Amino acid sequence: MSSGSVPRSARFETWRLAAVYVVVILVLASLLFRLVNLQLIEGPSWLTRAVDNYTNEVSIAAARGIIYDRNGYILARNLASYNVVITPASLPDDDSDIQRIYREVSELTGVPVGGPLTDAALEEAKLYAACVEGPSITQLVGLQDSNAPYSPVKIKCNVSEEIARVVEERSVDWPGVTVEIDPIRDYPTGSLTANMVGFLGPIPALLEEELRARGFIPNRDKIGYAGVEASLQGILAGSNGRRVVQIDVAGQELRNLEPPVAAVPGYNVYLTIDTRLQAAAEASLLQEVNFWNTYFGTIRISSGVVIAMNPETGEILAMVSWPTYENNRMARLIPAYYYQQLSEDPTHPLLNNAISAEFPPGSVFKLSTATGAFNEGVVTLDKIIAAPGQLLLCEKFAANEECTDRNTRPFVDWIFETNPDGFGQIDFLHCIAYSSNVCFYKLGGGFEDEIEQGLGIERLGEYARAIGYDQRSGIELLGEADGLIPSPKWKRLNTGENWSTGDTYIASVGQGYVLATPLQVLMSGATIANNGKLMQPTIVREVTDGEGKVREVWFNPEDYTLWVPQDNVDGPGDTNRIWVNPADPAITLDSLPAGSYQISPFVPNMKWDITETPMIEGYSCDAGYCSLIEDQLKTVKPETVAAVRTGTRLAVTDARGTLHKVFLDFPIAVAGKTGTAEYCDDVARKANQCQFGAWPTHSWTLAYAPYEDPEIIVMAFAYHGGEGASVAAPIVARVIQAYFELKSIDIAQGGAPSP
Amino acid sequence: MTRGISWRNFDFLLLGAIVLASAFGTAMIRSAIAGNEVLLPLINRQIYFALLGLVVIFFVAAIDYRYWLALYRPIYFGIMIFLVALSSLGQVAFGAQRWFTVGVLFLQPTEFAKIVVIIILARYFDRAQNDPRGLKWMFRGFLWAFGLMFWILIQPNLSNVVVITVIFGAMLWINGIQLKHVLAFAGIGALALGVLVAVSVAGIRLPFLQEYQQQRIVTFILPDPNATHGAEYNVQQALIAIGSGGWFGKGYGHGTQTQLRFLKVRHTDFIFSAVSEEFGLIGAIIVILVLAFIVWRCIRAAQKARDVAGSMLAYGVAVLIFFQGAVNIGVNLNIVPVSGLPLPFVSYGGSGLTALMLGIGLVESVVMRHKQLDF
Repeated sequence: MSSGSVPRSARFETWRLAAVYVVVILVLASLLFRLVNLQLIEGPSWLTRAVDNYTNEVSIAAARGIIYDRNGYILARNLASYNVVITPASLPDDDSDIQRIYREVSELTGVPVGGPLTDAALEEAKLYAACVEGPSITQLVGLQDSNAPYSPVKIKCNVSEEIARVVEERSVDWPGVTVEIDPIRDYPTGSLTANMVGFLGPIPALLEEELRARGFIPNRDKIGYAGVEASLQGILAGSNGRRVVQIDVAGQELRNLEPPVAAVPGYNVYLTIDTRLQAAAEASLLQEVNFWNTYFGTIRISSGVVIAMNPETGEILAMVSWPTYENNRMARLIPAYYYQQLSEDPTHPLLNNAISAEFPPGSVFKLSTATGAFNEGVVTLDKIIAAPGQLLLCEKFAANEECTDRNTRPFVDWIFETNPDGFGQIDFLHCIAYSSNVCFYKLGGGFEDEIEQGLGIERLGEYARAIGYDQRSGIELLGEADGLIPSPKWKRLNTGENWSTGDTYIASVGQGYVLATPLQVLMSGATIANNGKLMQPTIVREVTDGEGKVREVWFNPEDYTLWVPQDNVDGPGDTNRIWVNPADPAITLDSLPAGSYQISPFVPNMKWDITETPMIEGYSCDAGYCSLIEDQLKTVKPETVAAVRTGTRLAVTDARGTLHKVFLDFPIAVAGKTGTAEYCDDVARKANQCQFGAWPTHSWTLAYAPYEDPEIIVMAFAYHGGEGASVAAPIVARVIQAYFELKSIDIAQGGAPSP
Repeated sequence: MTRGISWRNFDFLLLGAIVLASAFGTAMIRSAIAGNEVLLPLINRQIYFALLGLVVIFFVAAIDYRYWLALYRPIYFGIMIFLVALSSLGQVAFGAQRWFTVGVLFLQPTEFAKIVVIIILARYFDRAQNDPRGLKWMFRGFLWAFGLMFWILIQPNLSNVVVITVIFGAMLWINGIQLKHVLAFAGIGALALGVLVAVSVAGIRLPFLQEYQQQRIVTFILPDPNATHGAEYNVQQALIAIGSGGWFGKGYGHGTQTQLRFLKVRHTDFIFSAVSEEFGLIGAIIVILVLAFIVWRCIRAAQKARDVAGSMLAYGVAVLIFFQGAVNIGVNLNIVPVSGLPLPFVSYGGSGLTALMLGIGLVESVVMRHKQLDF
């Protein structure tokens, strides 16, 4: 064959071919340049992104600790809640099989199958949060299939156990459909213990960053919002486990990249509460409340508190704050309407009134005045004091003010209405037993020549603080109030007025500016009952780990941190103990803050003994005015405490004693003090109840038994309850009775007495 | 027809490079399947096509290429019928009709059409070698190319239209197009490209361009770093695959991007990324060098060819392999918008591989019959 063309030595013009080569080389060089740039210079950052692509961290949820009462009765536990879920990648290949499964699941759960999967349907499904009803099965699975086909999507949440069982049984017919078990918190005792146990809620945005750093997963893990669920969150929560896994593009887990870290379950907590006594206390309170509210035909008593404690150990045996809330309603999520209803309620059911609310204590506060007056020598056992029905006293705002008719007004005793002559001539002990206001006006503020030098507000404050007023108790519950013992300085700062003699008179009987929490009232009684030893009130008895071993735990009431010591084996045979604060593991034994106390294993923690710990500031007083003597701390004489104790016993034994009727036939020696505290708060003002001379009153009573060696002290408070002796005292009597009945039951059953 | 052939002149180095590239490609496809059972048969299918391709090379090489040139009419119109049929009968996939289903095989006439364009243009430039290099010379050549290009354009398959245009342009260049015409075309081309980009970014639809094609241009100009799917995501994953390969790669079958399927279309369009991830910079350079070697051997054949037709055949195949390879690698490296052109001899694709082998057969046919200087 011949082409007829002229053969040339080179087919192409050299420069044109050279240009082609230049283009080829330039293109290849630019590819190479880019390649080197990507693989060598930027290589490490691309490698990081490749690792990010396939690395997935899976958090293993730790089981939350269980809360028991002192007898091992469960107060909070974890229950399983069942969700029906579908894993898109595990569904069969055949569309008609999928449709059949959808139909059958729909029949069982009531979730619609849904129409064809359009883009609009997918967009619509994106609007719903998990577990919210609305999207169809087709939409939910379709959306999950495009996001993470190997992860299950919740079709129906919180189904009954029966439905869950049906799904399990049909797992062969329904590939891809499974039951997911979600732990939810359950409170068998519900509202009975809600004020102490509390409830859980989602991790708030404010704490999200901090908690995420500690391994919590927002939207899955919950934290305590109230009660010990909140205050002991650090030990109840445990620590989540962690797996670092390799995943493929569809999210399927392939292998562990690091050795997995198992979840450590939270510690179990045993409270000091005896649920039976708690139930008795609540029943006693409600019986009384219902009786009086029925009697008056209106909701007169709108809230109340009952606390029972062992005064020798500080263990709280019962703590009722009524009205309260049902914490089981918060188990899955906190219903907005319910929460709103609770927070707008003027009786504050979400607050634990036993520690968070402040009321005028009234006559129960006379224990402070009595202790102070006796210890400072204002009064002796032999001194006879005139106690008429009312006392004309003058209200002086300055030392040199003259007493005139204008500033003189009557200070009334509670007996004045029934007996204008009052109690007559009585001694110090009967002042306590009869709760004579006139007597305590005189002791607190002095009266003419009879009591030349009263205790005075400064010294009253010292003694009130010594028996527990005006400070947080440090109990393991959040939201504690500190009460108020006024001082002339406080009054000037807060009202802009000078302290008056009348202020001292009414403060001496726990009125006026004096405010206290029910727990402080209980502590004041416990200090007297326990011969001057004020024990740290506690509601935690024991903390055990997942294996049931009792763990040592310390509590710092200042910032609610918990301290768990760990044995740190340091070399052969040397074991050092280091403190592990859940918030900061670096803190060691030496830096444990002052004020911290051991909550597990249980040891009675004495805050102080007023007969031994010098804590009363010395004052030199003259003509009603006292000035501080520097560096002169003194103690309370044991005979002072003994005298006040005798007075409280006399309130029961003396025929005219305030607690005489209530404990008339009581088999065990009881001692105590009542209180009827006038108040005028926003609620009373709104109801137009604040009439001068006829103020509404709170009802208080505290009593302890047996008198010689008290093992139980009970405090009852009824808001707008009226007279302490007739409303609060019967509640206290019933609780003390219940306590001793329970004790005898325990002994009869062969067990050691539980407290 | 086969008289006087001398297998002594058969370019065994070129054949060796082809075998090496195809074998490596098959191995890479095997790795890129990454346990996907649906894709598993592709490995054997690629091997069958590679073996078939080798037979095709020897068969075509044995026949004088001028024989094919003489049969230009049935070849040209035959492929045109296929392309026309494709636009009405073909399988609809990804918005473009590119396949015929023949039994279990997808046949892509477009891949063969590119070889036919090379044959037709080789014949044309041979016939017109003494014509003045004017507009008429260019326009008549363009008409031949456009006869097939039009049907590819309405598929629409813009990438291959660009490939054919580049082959035509490269042939004009080497056959002596005047510089003033080059400058004019370059100016028009740049203007058209500018308008295309501007219009696409502005979101105005153009005829002959699918929406996704315009979108690809937009994502190339204005990438969305948060894309979780689509072309932008694929390119990002390709860059991660390449970049994480480093000097020597993660090892065959151990590329996490490839094996865990973060890299998409990894056995076809993005196989270069899989290579770069598992064999690193060294592997990527070797692939580029092998392709460059093949291109060089083709150009060498073109220089040796006894006539203009043979020269154009070999040159056209060289341009085809080079341009497709460069664009594919450029897409992988994100310096060219996503185009869908395979990496020659390496990417999966029976039609593409066979068509390229056919082209290599033609080159061998040319080089075997080169003018004998070494009597």
